[in-house]
Amino acid sequence: MAEPESLVPDTGAVFTFGKTKFAENIPSKFWFKNDVPICLSCGDEHTAIVTGNNKLYMFGSNNWGQLGLGSKSAISKPTCIKALKPEKVKLAACGRNHTLVSTDTGGVYAAGGNNEGQLGLGDTDDRDTFHQIGFFTPSDIIKQLSAGANTSAALTEDGKLFMWGDNSEGQIGLKNKSNVCIPHEVTVGKPISWISCGYYHSAFVTTDGELYTFGEPENGKLGLPNQLLINHRSPQRVLGIPDKVIQVACGGGHTVVLTEKVVYAFGLGQFGQLGLGTFLFETSEPKIIDRIKDQKISHISCGENHTALMTDIGLMYTFGDGRHGKLGLGMENFTNQFFPTLCSNFLKFTVQLIACGGCHMLVFATPRLGTIDETEFEE
Amino acid sequence: ASEVSEAHTPDSDDIVVTPQSQTCPKADSEKMCIEIVSLAFCPEADVMADENIRQVYVEYKFCDLPLSETETPVSLRKPRAGEEIHFHFSKVIDLDPVEHQDRRQFLFAMLQAQNSDEGRLKFTVVSDPLDEEKKECQDIGYAYLELWQIFQSGKDILEQELEIVSPGNQAIQIGRLKVSLQATAALHGIYKEMTEDLFS
Ligand SMILES: [Mg+2]
Ligand SMILES: [Mg+2]
Repeated sequence: MAEPESLVPDTGAVFTFGKTKFAENIPSKFWFKNDVPICLSCGDEHTAIVTGNNKLYMFGSNNWGQLGLGSKSAISKPTCIKALKPEKVKLAACGRNHTLVSTDTGGVYAAGGNNEGQLGLGDTDDRDTFHQIGFFTPSDIIKQLSAGANTSAALTEDGKLFMWGDNSEGQIGLKNKSNVCIPHEVTVGKPISWISCGYYHSAFVTTDGELYTFGEPENGKLGLPNQLLINHRSPQRVLGIPDKVIQVACGGGHTVVLTEKVVYAFGLGQFGQLGLGTFLFETSEPKIIDRIKDQKISHISCGENHTALMTDIGLMYTFGDGRHGKLGLGMENFTNQFFPTLCSNFLKFTVQLIACGGCHMLVFATPRLGTIDETEFEE
Repeated sequence: ASEVSEAHTPDSDDIVVTPQSQTCPKADSEKMCIEIVSLAFCPEADVMADENIRQVYVEYKFCDLPLSETETPVSLRKPRAGEEIHFHFSKVIDLDPVEHQDRRQFLFAMLQAQNSDEGRLKFTVVSDPLDEEKKECQDIGYAYLELWQIFQSGKDILEQELEIVSPGNQAIQIGRLKVSLQATAALHGIYKEMTEDLFS
């Protein structure tokens, strides 16, 4: 192999893995002239990138108009959404077939599939351009966006959580409605600091470090004992995690939780996406991922059936469904990984951002100054 | 040194894409891909009741390839009744006519040997004792893929279920192995090349 690392500028590159629609789905990379990514998000088959110059770039499948380009044709290269250029885009979140973005003036915009009202525009008509959600005002400073199969969430700086879209499984926390087309507040009476929408379930973390889950109850992905599953349409606290929770990431059938000390996983792990080994393919009891206990994890991301972990020194581990090379572990021979596996591609880089989608993964990484002793990280 | 190509579409003029790696993807006729997808056992099969069988892996033999490249890299817990375990172990086999003529001959021989054992790619399900046990690996089932049938139909197979039969009595089905195979382009190329040789 050539030395592709030497090509990457000091400001870093975005690396693509799996069915990205970019570069014919072969592992590849690109970067921006005079700009860097600050936010990455992957949907089922599409991708959003927000840059430091507050531009939004999109690519991938577009059959619902989720790229917001005014058409429904798939796009194979990151393309700037010019209609949003007067705005300063801060955040983006890709759901299965829709996209949310927020701007520095408190605007929240949505595009794509809308069959359950996940665009928050008061109806269920799809949009192939970004439309502003009238519900949010400049006083709502958005801290985080998240999107699931047909669900949407926006978390404000002051800890208020709003959700909208599909509620068939209670995944936006409403007891008696099948869906809502306008944001509604989800509350447990204290400020919320993190939200994650999975495909059909959702989870959030409160500022005091409690984890709550709701939505589809099957396969243990709510991390709750059986007797509590009857109330799956309301957020319930996951008591199986004693330490202070910092982040949560929901995938298709699994949930991964970062606490101050360790990473927990629960739900479905038939492809290894729990990272708990080759003997446990499902658990409703949160389990510590032992294999990375001696690493300090700083960020977690779940795709439909895979998981990525970033360490405090910018290394990354992946596990779960290895199909299409979405774990970033090889060029053409793939296999499921049942334990966290170090992506040796990135030993020469510092990983800055990771996003996992349906069958793909994007990583933003900058060349590493100094070297990492590779042997130190091998089993 | 490879140069950097820049995309000049109207909306992406500030993106730099690095060129594809120098190892261009091979033509479909010069490679094949085998995926061991998943397996399940029949609830009434002896292996289900056998407490000595705790975890299993799957392997096949392909010409000169070492087994380390054609066996699933992990063993997974024996599936429970009604459960499927998922390997998703896919391997691309290089069939370059210059470097790997032996593999092309191997496949041609399989195409020639219709309706006999040599015409089939054999997968072996192996019981892998736990580390603490001092036992040998043991074959617990075989599954066969008829390559000539794929050649004749002209269609790659996607997640096809193969019967797993007992090594002791191949009339007894003990489970199902799911595999995918992308090979029709290569098989047709090989058949054409070899039969042309025959008559030239
Ligand atoms: Mg999918
Ligand atoms: Mg062996």
